Amino acid sequence: MGLLSIIRKIKKKEKEMRILMVGLDNSGKTTIVLKVNGEDTSVISPTLGFNIKTIKYQKYSLNVWDVGGQKTIRPYWRNYFEQTDGLVWVVDSSDVRRLDDCRSELENLLKEERLSGASLLVFANKQDIQGALKPADIVKVLNLDAMDKTRHWQIVGCSAYTGEGLLEGFDWLVQDIASRIYMLD
Amino acid sequence: MEGEEGSESKQHHLSAGTLDPVFAQKKKHAVMLDRLATLQQSRLQQSAARSAAAVAASPAFESVSAFLDRFAESRRSIEADVQGCRAMATDPASAARLKPELEKMAASIADLDRLVAENSYFLPSYEVRSSLRAIAALKEALEAANSELLPRKKFSFRNKAPKKDPTFLVKEVEEAKVSAAPEKPDLAVVRETPGFREKEGSILIKHFRVSEEGEGDFTLADLNSCEIYLRGRLRALFIHRLTDCRVFAGAVLGSILIEEVSDCLLMLASHQIRIHHARATDFYLRVRSRPIIEDSHAVRFAPYRLLYEGIEEELRDSGLEEETGNWANVDDFGWLRAVQSPNWSVIPEEQRVQTMNVSDNAK
Ligand SMILES: Nc1nc2c(ncn2[C@@H]2O[C@H](COP(=O)(O)OP(=O)(O)OP(=O)(O)O)[C@@H](O)[C@H]2O)c(=O)[nH]1
Ligand SMILES: [Mg+2]
Repeated sequence: MGLLSIIRKIKKKEKEMRILMVGLDNSGKTTIVLKVNGEDTSVISPTLGFNIKTIKYQKYSLNVWDVGGQKTIRPYWRNYFEQTDGLVWVVDSSDVRRLDDCRSELENLLKEERLSGASLLVFANKQDIQGALKPADIVKVLNLDAMDKTRHWQIVGCSAYTGEGLLEGFDWLVQDIASRIYMLD
Repeated sequence: MEGEEGSESKQHHLSAGTLDPVFAQKKKHAVMLDRLATLQQSRLQQSAARSAAAVAASPAFESVSAFLDRFAESRRSIEADVQGCRAMATDPASAARLKPELEKMAASIADLDRLVAENSYFLPSYEVRSSLRAIAALKEALEAANSELLPRKKFSFRNKAPKKDPTFLVKEVEEAKVSAAPEKPDLAVVRETPGFREKEGSILIKHFRVSEEGEGDFTLADLNSCEIYLRGRLRALFIHRLTDCRVFAGAVLGSILIEEVSDCLLMLASHQIRIHHARATDFYLRVRSRPIIEDSHAVRFAPYRLLYEGIEEELRDSGLEEETGNWANVDDFGWLRAVQSPNWSVIPEEQRVQTMNVSDNAK
């Protein structure tokens, strides 16, 4: 048995999935990950670099890479593209002014060859804020309907603050990846 | 699970559960937490499986000392290469090989970056932080070598902008209604965001009345020589393009995002404060996490000193009653080194403004 097939077998047995969380700074990536993981979210600094969490989710083990979105560190996103099964793009739905930025960064990301097979979950975060844009509006602004037809994607409104929508989003992502990688056993 | 947490784990432990509303799906969550408890176990099994398969291709060490050894070795070799390049540059015969050598080094540094990334899940947050700092220093050394040895356009820091005396302007008092000017008319969607926009020489006052779940966001944009009082509780505050303004704001539950301010004084309290493109501005902050600056210069920091009737209670309700001292723990994202960033400083005691009692202004 070759080395690669051994690695594959290990990966398969443990049902690991590699999830990359990206999005503009301040969109709520770290808060989402900690909330899903049941951790305290009351003191979170902007991410300088990245955090990695392994989260047991249903029968899968999610390897979640939460990468900082401040402008100076966006160029490093590409260091984390390899072997990504699921991509989570987090949007601050109350930050109307930077939606243009948000759209162009996402467009660039989706051009990336190494991410072409990844399922895409868009979190329209901060829905608890009065007047935040609704997921349907975000679809329009980010022009998601124009996306490559082969891409599996979904948008879910959520609030990392109340927790609403988070499990729904991850449920979709995990099911979608599972149906591609593990053929839904 | 200590070692698996991100670089903020210490802070989490210091401040358990001040501000967490009830998670609607608590039950589902509890199940997830149970599974988490078994995580460490499964990770151990996983690493046993890994070594059984003798996976050597990707260097995931799972031992801090093995990682540190490997990291130190790579670092030394890159540093030596930088020195080597400097030597090469003095010899005309080898100058042609300089560029590919420098490029090779950039690749080695990128590899080092990846090494940290791949191993960071088991490294203590201190090691991750200091490794990243070391990498940033290597990048800088390489950049310095690049610009010295392969001369291109010159780069220099701009000089400190002179700090203006804060002036006090009273021209007009105004209670703002919601102003609806969309900033990006090309967006398919237009939303009315509450805020003060495009004002000059005004005093702007807004009192957010307490209404249980009705807290929203607020925007201050394109203001020149204004004095702004925001009283009450908010979820988010956006500040964009302010010059020569003074802003005094109460508790912001989520975050404050500040972009393009110059010659201002901002007195703010929030869980997170992010500052981009600021120049010659003084910040008086109460903040739960570490404030950050990016592309900013000549910005100064001091503790929050705002008073008005009821502010204590509002701060407490927003989890901001505690003076964490974080106003002085500024991270400059453009300066990831151990030495103090030249872009920010602490305001000397004698230059700080007195406690601002704005009870009368901010009715
Ligand atoms: N009201 C509200 N605030 C939120 C929500 N999610 C996150 N926030 C706040 O938004 C700010 C940014 O959250 P982070 O999780 O640090 O954002 P991030 O995307 O990780 O930012 P970077 O690490 O810089 O890329 C914090 O102050 C959070 O409290 C939400 O759903 N609602
Ligand atoms: Mg973060």
